[in-house]
Amino acid sequence: MTFEEMPDEWQEWLELTPLERFRQSEQIFAQYLAMGGSLEPDPDPTSPFYDPETSSTGAAYGRPGLRVLRRGAV
Amino acid sequence: MGGQACVFYGAAQFSKDVDLALLASEENFSRLRAALGELNARRIAVPPFEPALLERGHAAHFRCQGGGADGLRVDVMTRLRDLPDFAVLWARRATIRDEDGETFELLSVEDLVLAKKTQREKDWPVIDALVEGHYRALGGASTPERIAFWLGESRTPERLIGLAERFPNEARAQSIRRPLLRLAVAGESEALRVALDAEARAEQAKDRAYWSPLKAELEAFRRAERAGS
Repeated sequence: MTFEEMPDEWQEWLELTPLERFRQSEQIFAQYLAMGGSLEPDPDPTSPFYDPETSSTGAAYGRPGLRVLRRGAV
Repeated sequence: MGGQACVFYGAAQFSKDVDLALLASEENFSRLRAALGELNARRIAVPPFEPALLERGHAAHFRCQGGGADGLRVDVMTRLRDLPDFAVLWARRATIRDEDGETFELLSVEDLVLAKKTQREKDWPVIDALVEGHYRALGGASTPERIAFWLGESRTPERLIGLAERFPNEARAQSIRRPLLRLAVAGESEALRVALDAEARAEQAKDRAYWSPLKAELEAFRRAERAGS
């Protein structure tokens, strides 16, 4: 997707400086944790580190099943 | 490197973990162990944290349980597929300092793109965003190196066709190494999309082949740990 095709939110994100992005990311991350967001990696069967016996939708940290907010640019 | 670097470069909005590329030296491993100790970090997955295993391409995985980083996952690697040794990566790194003098040492965006060429589906849109962000920021200040990067790594047919129109000589010259650039020069958008997909599939196959013996080792480590637990 070219920049011109990106949603406004992505374009605004790319217009920030790297440090501005990092500072905003810290805030987003803090909000994510405050809402009970999980720090477990998302199960990814295409990853070489994927272990079907230990990967699950459950979460040792935070509430399972919470969706990541503002994740569009990942 | 990884998701945190992607935040700086604009390809992600946050990352749930920290990925570190580390110089493989005894002194550095000692410093890493001390830092992990301060964070009360525990290994959470195979393989064991052994320099020799990292040097073979494995990653070590930790979870912090203190030091203000409770729950944060830290992954460490010393060797990345198809990337040069750490000394080269370090020489090419990007350094960012904030207003308080805090320094962030990042894998260069060019190396990060190479590192993201994995078998994982989720990494490929990130490459797209990394290159597009780089072009957005620096497209008005082209250099031969930047042009080569954009032509070599862009993954959007529209962007590649635009680049080929803007830099036709460079596109033709670089098509020796990246044949799909001929389609960009010809403006064949749909054929280019198919070729880009084939390019990604070939790279994913290379990554799977690279990881195949390492995955077998990981499975052996898992079996051994389960048998011992």
